[in-house]
Amino acid sequence: MLRMTQTSTVLSIFILFLHTTFGESGCTSADGDGTFGDDEPDNFDINCFSQLEFKDSYSSLTCNFTELPPHNTNYTLALCTKEDSNYVCFNMEKQEDVYFLQFTDILSNKDICMSSEMKRMVCRSLVVTDIVKPEVPFDINITYQKEANEYLIHYSTPHSWKKYLKDKLIHQIAYRQEESTWKTIKSPYLQVKLLGKNLKNDASYEVKVRSQPNGDYFKGMWSEWSTSKSFRTAKEQHSTESYSSVVVVILSILGFMLSIVMIFLVVTFWENRIKPAVWPNLPDHKKTLEQLCKKPKNNFDISFNAESFGYVHIHKVDGIRAKAELENFLQPSTAPETNLPEKFRSGSDLKMIPPMTDKSNLNLSVTYGGIWPAEALHRLLGTSQSAVTEQNDGSSTYEVCHSNGVPLCDDGFNPSSAPPPDPSGQPGPEPLNGDTVSQVLPTSETRSPNNEEDYVTMSSFYEIQ
Amino acid sequence: AFFRSIFWVLPLLLVLSPVNSSSCAMGNKTTEIRVKYENILSHDIDELVNMSAEYRDRCCKNRKHENSKVFFCNDTQEVESLQSMACNMLRFFHKQKISRDFRWKAALVSCGTLQVLQCKCERLRKEK
Repeated sequence: MLRMTQTSTVLSIFILFLHTTFGESGCTSADGDGTFGDDEPDNFDINCFSQLEFKDSYSSLTCNFTELPPHNTNYTLALCTKEDSNYVCFNMEKQEDVYFLQFTDILSNKDICMSSEMKRMVCRSLVVTDIVKPEVPFDINITYQKEANEYLIHYSTPHSWKKYLKDKLIHQIAYRQEESTWKTIKSPYLQVKLLGKNLKNDASYEVKVRSQPNGDYFKGMWSEWSTSKSFRTAKEQHSTESYSSVVVVILSILGFMLSIVMIFLVVTFWENRIKPAVWPNLPDHKKTLEQLCKKPKNNFDISFNAESFGYVHIHKVDGIRAKAELENFLQPSTAPETNLPEKFRSGSDLKMIPPMTDKSNLNLSVTYGGIWPAEALHRLLGTSQSAVTEQNDGSSTYEVCHSNGVPLCDDGFNPSSAPPPDPSGQPGPEPLNGDTVSQVLPTSETRSPNNEEDYVTMSSFYEIQ
Repeated sequence: AFFRSIFWVLPLLLVLSPVNSSSCAMGNKTTEIRVKYENILSHDIDELVNMSAEYRDRCCKNRKHENSKVFFCNDTQEVESLQSMACNMLRFFHKQKISRDFRWKAALVSCGTLQVLQCKCERLRKEK
């Protein structure tokens, strides 16, 4: 008995709770007031879309009837939200053929309810975040990138500075040539590129853009199209590029050829013209002197060093031969004097050939047939004269040997061994010493008294100088 | 006897019912909560934080922090902790010293939090 009582109690309480629960949920109530009235099917056809952050923090809901209701009937649309056990509804404002409402809460589940004078309120569930319609894009800019032959299309959307739909939209770009079919491109970014090769040259194009939620959380429909923007493609892009490329190729070839020619010219004229001009050779003193001085006719050695005449073969002059030549020379009394060049006459009696037999005079041999300085000859003559006067009054003859090397001196006399007063002590071509002189003297004494010859060596000449 | 038994059980059920009954919806709705928070509620909270930076130390100046009520997020009681925070923040709505925009934004965040968690404030229920 007790058990039956408890069981029935539990069942009754359970039924009571069920009734209460169903009553508060309002699930079976079409009019939303928790009562079981005449439930009509939600067969009203309306289209609604929401716009998030329409104005500041307010979102909006816009609805319209797909089928116009009878003119005699006034319908009321309301957006209802269940809060606790209450059902809070907000009537939508009728604006011509649409119904409009602003609200802030987009998280809660809502119902769209229609009511009329004749009918009860009929509701249908509505998820505000699933019927989002973004705002229209604006500010379309087209920029032509000549190097890449591309057209950059950039646009803006108001949701870039709002919080819910920022970076959660997908954009559709439509473009077409004049009065032709539209071509579309989709992009999640705020810019796209059109390749120039896909477009006609020098043609007019039209571009427009619209947006839609990407579907990750917010769903909805496309926005309205933006205002169209027109642009014109470039003219003959390929021909311009080809022309410029040809010019570049030609210039590069010409530059290469010019560089080769320059290199060839430099190599060719380097030694002869370029290098002497850039790095001139310093003049060599010896060569310069050779060029300045008059060269002897017969490759005469112009060195003043006595040792350089070592190779010169000095011939002993035969006395008879010298005498004969001397006579020939002295026959014209004035002729020798006059015939002699002035430089020989200058100074003193160069050709003084006193009849002296003493040969203890200085034997000066002249092996150089160059131009004798007058003073040097004078000194020579003076020296020889003093020697002559000191020693004997014998005639002493001396002659100047010619450059041809024809000795006019007495035989046995070695011109090279003539005693030159050389203070430097240079041996000269033929160094003279006393022995030589002593050897010569006797030889000269045996000769004819007119057979004295004086040779002036280069070393003596050098000493005199 | 029947009615007596019913009325006797009813108080018993009421007594035996949990004292600390949660006013939040039960069930594992973590995914739904996370999605709503990431796409909607987080943006509102960021705005509220930026606005509160302008009013920093205005209300807390010359006040002792010992009497300040601190809200903790207890482990395994995240929902209840958030509910408590949201309900307490709703109390600012009637504070006239706070700017209207801030109060409205705070109320929006509180209501959004309660909506995401599907919770209700006890005091508001009692007041109603």
